[in-house]
Amino acid sequence: MISDRRRVALGSLGGNLVLVALVVVGGVVYAAFGSSARDALITDLLINLVIVIGFQIFIGNTGVLSFGHLGIASLAAYVMALLAIPAARKSVLIPNAPWGIPDIEVDPLLATVIGIGVAVVVSALLAAVVARTSGLSATMITLAFLFVVRQVAENWKDLTNGAGNLSSVPRLDGNGWAIVGAVLAVFVAVSFRASKVGRLAVATREDELAAGAMGIDVFSPRFIAFVVSGAVVAVGGILRVQSLGSLGPSQFSFDFTILILAMLVVGGMRTVSGAIVGTAFITIGKEITRFLGDGPHFLGFEWPVVDGLPDLFLAGSLLVVLLLRPSGLLGEYDVGTFVAAQLSRSGRRSSGPAASAIASAIAPDHSDAVLRTNCLGVTFGGFTAVDSVTMSVEPGRIHGLIGPNGAGKTTLINVLTGVVEPTYGTVEIGGRELTGPPHSRARQGISRTFQNLRVFGALSVRENVAVADLVARQHRVDRAGPGVDALLELSGLTAMADRPASTLDYGNQRRLEIARAAALRPDFLLLDEPTSGMSEAESREMVDHVRRIATAVGAGVLVIDHDLGFITSICEHITVLDQGAVLAEGTPDEVQSDPRVIEAYLGTQGA
Amino acid sequence: MNTFVQNLIDGLGNGSTYALLAVGVSMLFGVMHLVNFAHGELLTVSAYVIYGLRSKDVSWWITVPMAILGAVALSVAIEFTAFRRVRTASAFTLLLTSFALEILSHAVWRIGVSSKPRRYATPEIAFKTFDLGPYRVEVWDVISIVVAVLCFVGTAIMLRKTLFGLSIRAASEDFDAARLMGVKANRVISGAFAFAGLLAGIAGALYLLRRGQADPRMGAEPLLKAVIAAIIGGLGSLKGAVVGGLALGVAEVYFRSFLPNDLQGLTDAFVFVLIAALFVVRPQGLFNVQTAERV
Repeated sequence: MISDRRRVALGSLGGNLVLVALVVVGGVVYAAFGSSARDALITDLLINLVIVIGFQIFIGNTGVLSFGHLGIASLAAYVMALLAIPAARKSVLIPNAPWGIPDIEVDPLLATVIGIGVAVVVSALLAAVVARTSGLSATMITLAFLFVVRQVAENWKDLTNGAGNLSSVPRLDGNGWAIVGAVLAVFVAVSFRASKVGRLAVATREDELAAGAMGIDVFSPRFIAFVVSGAVVAVGGILRVQSLGSLGPSQFSFDFTILILAMLVVGGMRTVSGAIVGTAFITIGKEITRFLGDGPHFLGFEWPVVDGLPDLFLAGSLLVVLLLRPSGLLGEYDVGTFVAAQLSRSGRRSSGPAASAIASAIAPDHSDAVLRTNCLGVTFGGFTAVDSVTMSVEPGRIHGLIGPNGAGKTTLINVLTGVVEPTYGTVEIGGRELTGPPHSRARQGISRTFQNLRVFGALSVRENVAVADLVARQHRVDRAGPGVDALLELSGLTAMADRPASTLDYGNQRRLEIARAAALRPDFLLLDEPTSGMSEAESREMVDHVRRIATAVGAGVLVIDHDLGFITSICEHITVLDQGAVLAEGTPDEVQSDPRVIEAYLGTQGA
Repeated sequence: MNTFVQNLIDGLGNGSTYALLAVGVSMLFGVMHLVNFAHGELLTVSAYVIYGLRSKDVSWWITVPMAILGAVALSVAIEFTAFRRVRTASAFTLLLTSFALEILSHAVWRIGVSSKPRRYATPEIAFKTFDLGPYRVEVWDVISIVVAVLCFVGTAIMLRKTLFGLSIRAASEDFDAARLMGVKANRVISGAFAFAGLLAGIAGALYLLRRGQADPRMGAEPLLKAVIAAIIGGLGSLKGAVVGGLALGVAEVYFRSFLPNDLQGLTDAFVFVLIAALFVVRPQGLFNVQTAERV
């Protein structure tokens, strides 16, 4: 029996290839009724498709905007062209080229392979920088790269012949190669999205901070996505040059990049189907507007020649989509989902894990590590948020951290999870000092939920938990875990497992966050205000829920709240913080009767 | 020494245009984390206003204020029709929206006027020179520098003394907190767009009176320089934008006069490498701008 994941991947591959076929057939029919210029249009469309899908692999899965990929394509195309152009031509075009290039003549196919190899190396170098940054920085670095490549190509005339172009590149005739390229691109993109790295990349796209807290190092999925995507775009770039037979610095321009991005964004960058639909939509629209702008004789009128109509269409449709439907025409939709649903209807398996499977998955031995802070302090400027806090959370126990607003509770959790660096003091787990960025702490046994919900909204409920499980399988091998299905069942989420997490209601999203954190098989589960925004009845239910999950994974729990009732009903041990320092500590009864606590909570008059 | 001073004045003259644009770019980044690549289109609209009015022989004294007004109007219109809708969107959407607006503007001018440049006669003063001791100085450079300095001083006073300036500063510090304190989001943002438009209009006037032509894509290059200047100074820092703009203007002139010919074409490439490096090493720019996400 094939797994759900594979079913979706196969469905997506099949569905998207059908989509490509539809586009090609449409193009062929159109070409049959027109001049040979229309044949070139199909080739162009297919090659653009390769490039757009290449962009989709990085941008769609990581959510980071890159302007630099056509710079990579340009480099690859130059390498290919410089190797493959016949030596006789080169000695005329670029007699002064370095490294004996005028004398070299390489078989076009080998030259192509070398070109792609260069693209991979360059992508890796660029990705080593880009994958460390995000948002605006990443975009600006890639933009700078695109400009630099172009400037060098324009100015290194000995090598590139500058704006004079390199002609006589061995040509590929017909559309055969372009079709092969498009099929290959679809295959790579679908496989990437279904792969482990692909799913981790999507998690970082959905929420970088939450991904880190789940043990996902943002760098590696972004790095790999960038390199894979660079290689696919390079294939497209090389195909383009081989279909034209010449190459110049302006070919892989900023304007071309915008065209590709418009195709991707208009169709919907998150799915391969979106990339295909967007490419077709923009190509058709540009073809129509070009026709209208050429002053056609049409509908009995002599239409005026209008220059710039295709650009108006391009910018207009990009703008309309960005303003009204930023996720693109298709949004999260991939034909694969549809096809997979059809497939699974015919071969439906038994539903859900058996109750016994859950029972046996529950209650592994809890770890015997203690989580300890030694005289921990955090100051922001002159403000002391955490003041010399020393506390221990015992294994397998539910420990409460309570205090009025601004007492330093969340800051303390942020220090434990590596989001904030302590000014002084250390954190230990099982006697080892806990250091490093959030993702490495998660791998060392600390997982958390967030005060303001941070589920991976576009991923399904199951995928949310599965992503954390994936990390656990690699980095938490010495710990047993209940597994994805059991956690979903325990959280009452099985019925909605295939829904996007963003569609769940508030309470279910909270439970999903806890399930996701538990899937990491942590030694300690840190819950930041799990009942905030909940009614009293829901809070009471949450008490049982936290207990159940904690037992199932055998983790100690550190729970923050300012709801005294919730904390005293769930915790075996409580630490009270006030103005960053430990005010009191002990069992719920001890803490509740401590006069200092009463004072901090109710003020002196109330005491 | 002679050329040194002359180059300096020349560079500061060009640089003040960049700086005026860069201050606008930086201000918009401050209030809504947008790098507005459509900001250069404000120069374009000013240029076509000048072309249109001058071809009907309207006096420069009316033409220039109208050109500035055109930039302000377009800036506010862009905010109202486009950026208002994506205010809370990701950096990704904001950036692409600004590029889409840029291309849209190019296409509109191509369709509405022509893709060929439209020329207008420049006023005499634009290329007048006078001798100051051993130096031959262009009058327009001096005017540019003086006007720019007045604008910077005006901006600084506006930011410190007026309620609007205070709300811009508050919004740049922490937009959500500013709103809780009663700053009206839409008003402060459209105000910032209007103010940035005003500075761009003035920059446009200084630049266009010497340029003598309007064409659809003319806004792209100066804007790119302004963005670079704003990045060098640290996006969101207005002081940084001024310094970045002037430094870029001066550096360009020196590069042009000292670099050997076959490296001339690569000056921009050097600048881009520098920018990329800056983003890696010091993403907050040379001037420190703190931003932190609350967890």
